[in-house]
Amino acid sequence: MTGPRAARSSLTHSLGRALVLLGVTTFALGCVELALVIPDSGAVWVDALTTVVCWVYVAAGALAWWRRPSNQLGALIVAGGLTLLVGGLVATTVPVLVAVGLVLATSPLAVVFHLLHAFPSGRLRGRVSRATVVAGYLVSLVLQAPLYLFAAPGDVPAMLAMADRPALLEAGVWVQGGAGSVVTGVTAAVLLGRLRGAAPRQRRVLTPLYAYGIGTVVFIPTSAIVLAPVLGWTPTQLGTAQLLVLLGVPLAFTAGVLRGGFARTGELDELGTWLGGAGTRRPALAAALAHTLGDPSLHVVFESDQAGAPDPDDEPNVLPAHVPGRASIAIDLDGRRVALIAYDSALITDSDLVLTAGRVVAIAADRERLTAALLVSQADLRTSRARLVDAADRERHRIAQDLHDGLQVQLVLLALHAQEVANAAGASDDTRTEATALRQGIDAAAGDLRRLVHAVMPSALVERGLSAATEDLVDRMPVPTRLYIGITDEALPTSVQNTAYFVVAEGLANAVKHANATTLNVRLVRVADVLLVEVDDDGIGGARLDAGTGLRGLADRVDVLGGLLDLRSAPGAGTRLRVELPCGS
Amino acid sequence: MRVVIAEDEALLRQGLVHVLAHGGFDVVAAATDGAELVRLTAELSPDLVVTDIRMPPSHTDEGLVAALQIRRASPVTALVVLSQHVQRRIARELLAGRRAGVGYLLKQRIADVDTFCADLRTVAAGGVALDPEVVAVMIARASLVGTGISGLTPRQREVLAHVAEGRSNAWIAEALHLSERAVVAHTSHIYDSLGLPVDVDDHRRVLAVLRYLTQ
Repeated sequence: MTGPRAARSSLTHSLGRALVLLGVTTFALGCVELALVIPDSGAVWVDALTTVVCWVYVAAGALAWWRRPSNQLGALIVAGGLTLLVGGLVATTVPVLVAVGLVLATSPLAVVFHLLHAFPSGRLRGRVSRATVVAGYLVSLVLQAPLYLFAAPGDVPAMLAMADRPALLEAGVWVQGGAGSVVTGVTAAVLLGRLRGAAPRQRRVLTPLYAYGIGTVVFIPTSAIVLAPVLGWTPTQLGTAQLLVLLGVPLAFTAGVLRGGFARTGELDELGTWLGGAGTRRPALAAALAHTLGDPSLHVVFESDQAGAPDPDDEPNVLPAHVPGRASIAIDLDGRRVALIAYDSALITDSDLVLTAGRVVAIAADRERLTAALLVSQADLRTSRARLVDAADRERHRIAQDLHDGLQVQLVLLALHAQEVANAAGASDDTRTEATALRQGIDAAAGDLRRLVHAVMPSALVERGLSAATEDLVDRMPVPTRLYIGITDEALPTSVQNTAYFVVAEGLANAVKHANATTLNVRLVRVADVLLVEVDDDGIGGARLDAGTGLRGLADRVDVLGGLLDLRSAPGAGTRLRVELPCGS
Repeated sequence: MRVVIAEDEALLRQGLVHVLAHGGFDVVAAATDGAELVRLTAELSPDLVVTDIRMPPSHTDEGLVAALQIRRASPVTALVVLSQHVQRRIARELLAGRRAGVGYLLKQRIADVDTFCADLRTVAAGGVALDPEVVAVMIARASLVGTGISGLTPRQREVLAHVAEGRSNAWIAEALHLSERAVVAHTSHIYDSLGLPVDVDDHRRVLAVLRYLTQ
């Protein structure tokens, strides 16, 4: 699926600019911190590494944020970087900055807890998780207080040091350590529970990530208390080890967020852009939604409706039976159920997001439905127009047949009778003359009727089909008319033959009446499944489709058959009437 | 003279039988569709067949199809085809490979009883009777495409039309109020113009003229 990558919206570009500015700002702040720290630093390497680790956090967090705009983990990773930056202030010589750094010194660990609980969606699931994360922040911020309030005056800035109470200080250290252990233990338990509930595919990502996170929150405090004395690490070695462990955190989580098909992508805005531009079929819509929300197991069931014929490509139109860890949500548009979306509730905790994304997809699906409905009604309209034309032709045919069988016969018999009166033995000369005149009058009336019947539905067309009828038309033309016939009538539907005939008749009649033409050409050719009817003349041109009803009515007839009518008649350049009629066999 | 007719419209069929009977023809059978006509003709071997073109079941050209079938089966049977509309193409089809008399007339010509019966006798005698309307179409068309007819005077065109209709010199002379000698003079000029061989036999000259007009 290349669509979402290709079309980034303006909002995404705006986010990109903000993230670049964030990066630049953090870089600048890091440089300022280094400038403050390095001149008086006792451990340049550790202080410099602190700033670098902070930069890595912000860079990794910004990347996650950029690629997954709706996932809050990116922001959280950036926040972790900023706490490191603030924590690094303890190495400066400015008392206020040192104080701020001391207050927030252990907050990066609280952020790690937060990351562990919030992965992969970025939101906290369940009361235990929320309470544990809050506890983590309390441990790092509130239980940190004894460590500076009761410190020796020389160790902390005067504004923080309340009393020099080594016993309380030691107690504080133990309380904070104990509480931290509890938070760590609960977190480990929660994560283990999640691992057990996760699919094997998810477990492959979650297990190393959780292990690393737990390892980090355990390593940081214990390394100072246990490892350094046992292994005889210098403070520089200890600081380096701790920073390197912390450095792995943003890298691991960002990789986890970006891992395709695991974390939700949440690029709703791009989803909208993509849906707006692409021709969308339902399976493609479902796939786009799954990709956007980062849940490959996401399943969309579109409500069937009368407009959409069953699509063989469609997913089976049933929701899987309710399974623990699965949730489903209904998408309604204008009070009508459009779709049901089933998704992994562990992966996507925010049902509002599914609803919003689902609506976007539902609108696209609805567009497809409306298009299908429109096409159906258009086809219905075409069919009904075709029926009307057929009905009109049948009616013409019936009228012509009735006149032919009824009135025409009666007139012939009347004329016959008149002539018999004239021929009767013993008829006077006057009677003979008058009866003969009467017979001739009736003959003339019969002739008029015959021409009327012919105009309504030509005998030639009924009896012998399009070719013969066209030839008959051409035979009666008062100007030289060339006829080229490249068709066999049998292969053409009656409606096509009738329409083609009326096109030729109208074209020839117009040429004789208005065009002042000296030569005409008529062509009937079949090219594949199209009957081509052409009437052209060398007359004065200037014919218009909207002048008079003859050509207009023909254009409608042609349109009903799904054909094309083209009239070219520039003044002085003759006229060409060209009609294409589909006559699929 | 034994005649079989075919006409699906009952009143007209009766009228036709009546006219023919009064005109001295022996109507041996009257069919109501093409298939019946073919069957009756094969059974009765009439001298002359008179048929309407449009008949059941499809009401298109059954009568013409039957007539052409009869001619293939029995080339010596004279044929007269009646129609409510005459076309050059059908005239050409009827005249093609002609061995016996052929007639192609508008149905309404029945009413002019004397002329109609005379035409039937001409056809029965091996001659041709073409409706003036289809002849007019043929001459108009020939005058547009060829040069021969444009050299004729209006009077000569009239004579040409009557010749093509299958009329004798005597009939033409009476109809146009001319002497037969004048008609002969006109006809020889017409043959010159059209490049046709002069022929005294009425039937053969009609055919020559019709070949010219239908080419």
